[in-house]
Amino acid sequence: MKLEFSILREFGSHLADGSQAIEFRMGRIGPYVDICREIVLDFSGVRTANSSFINALICGLVEQHGKKVVEVLVFKGCNPVIRVLIEAAIDLGLQKIDQNVKA
Amino acid sequence: MRIQLPIHINADGLPPFLSMLGQPLVEGEEVTLDFSGLRRVTPAGLVGLVATVLRWRREHHPVAFLGLDVCAITGYLQRMDVLKTCGADMPESFTRHEAKGRFVPVRLVDHRVNEMGHEMASCLAPGGDDYDHPMSGIYDMAWYVLTEIANNARQHSGGQGYVTAQVNSQEGLVRLALADNGKGILKSFQDTGFSWSSGMDDAVAIQKALEPKVSSKGWPANEGVGLTLVAELSRLTRAWLLIVSGQGTLQILPKRGLSVSKLSDGRRFHGTLIGLTFRQQEVRDFADLLHQAKSRTGLLRDGGITGKFKV
Repeated sequence: MKLEFSILREFGSHLADGSQAIEFRMGRIGPYVDICREIVLDFSGVRTANSSFINALICGLVEQHGKKVVEVLVFKGCNPVIRVLIEAAIDLGLQKIDQNVKA
Repeated sequence: MRIQLPIHINADGLPPFLSMLGQPLVEGEEVTLDFSGLRRVTPAGLVGLVATVLRWRREHHPVAFLGLDVCAITGYLQRMDVLKTCGADMPESFTRHEAKGRFVPVRLVDHRVNEMGHEMASCLAPGGDDYDHPMSGIYDMAWYVLTEIANNARQHSGGQGYVTAQVNSQEGLVRLALADNGKGILKSFQDTGFSWSSGMDDAVAIQKALEPKVSSKGWPANEGVGLTLVAELSRLTRAWLLIVSGQGTLQILPKRGLSVSKLSDGRRFHGTLIGLTFRQQEVRDFADLLHQAKSRTGLLRDGGITGKFKV
């Protein structure tokens, strides 16, 4: 099963509100991580985002579902700023997993 | 209480001005602001004044405005919507022109942070909303900083935030400022129940807020990296950053580096004020700056798993 979301259609071209991202992550992505082989987040047309939004969307997924979610998620149509934010959100999630394991 | 506004409220004159505004008042005491000598004020001074006047009003202190008839910059204060926002509107003797590329009047930070960021960044960097435009780096920097600090003001302060910005094209400078009249950073930590915040002072609390992954909101709403990255971006672009909260002040200066101190006479700014001034020429490739800022703060490790991307 493959799932695809247009982030532009869901949130518009500017992404600043982390609480919206959390709601979306928990209700629309989280439940499908274990049953989809691919979840595409299409950022085409998204002009910019901040760390609050992207961390709320991505970091929490990695922290909750572990490294396997990185294999499931595909990020499409990202401009260079969005790409940096996503890479850092994945890394932040992985750092949190490492910390939890150590604790 | 009568406050004579100084001639210049900028750079090193800003903390003393905030000390003046922080004088204690007795219940119901009137405040008189005398503008007659004022000749220059930066955006940070404007929002510091607005947030304070509206706090006084909220606490039922009458506020009187004197000397605006002789003040050299009354027109500027009107254009910046300072007087209107403070409830001291007066007839304008000038025609308002397009502000694009020059300034953004003072506005309340409300739930429309996305729109606020876009409108302000577009005004400061006309055309920059197009990713391939030469102004896009300035647009991105302004949008990122404004939305992160506005989110903080909305989520943590418990008060009202006011934001403004200005471009000085001769000097090539962009000035952004936000001030709220809420509880301040230290109280926000303490209200969250962080044991490490007991016995802490305001200046140390500001420094703590700049550390990565420290947030008084906490998971799942916030990862506590917004202010960390704003500070690192200001270091990377050799910008001037000022954060005032309670009695504490923190500055990151292009040549002098980090400087932490307290407002004079034990005074406090009732809320949090953030002012950032950066040079347009230092912000060309925002993606690269953000990558560096994330790496330097340990929020993006080299050689890690980066995810699957496709065009």
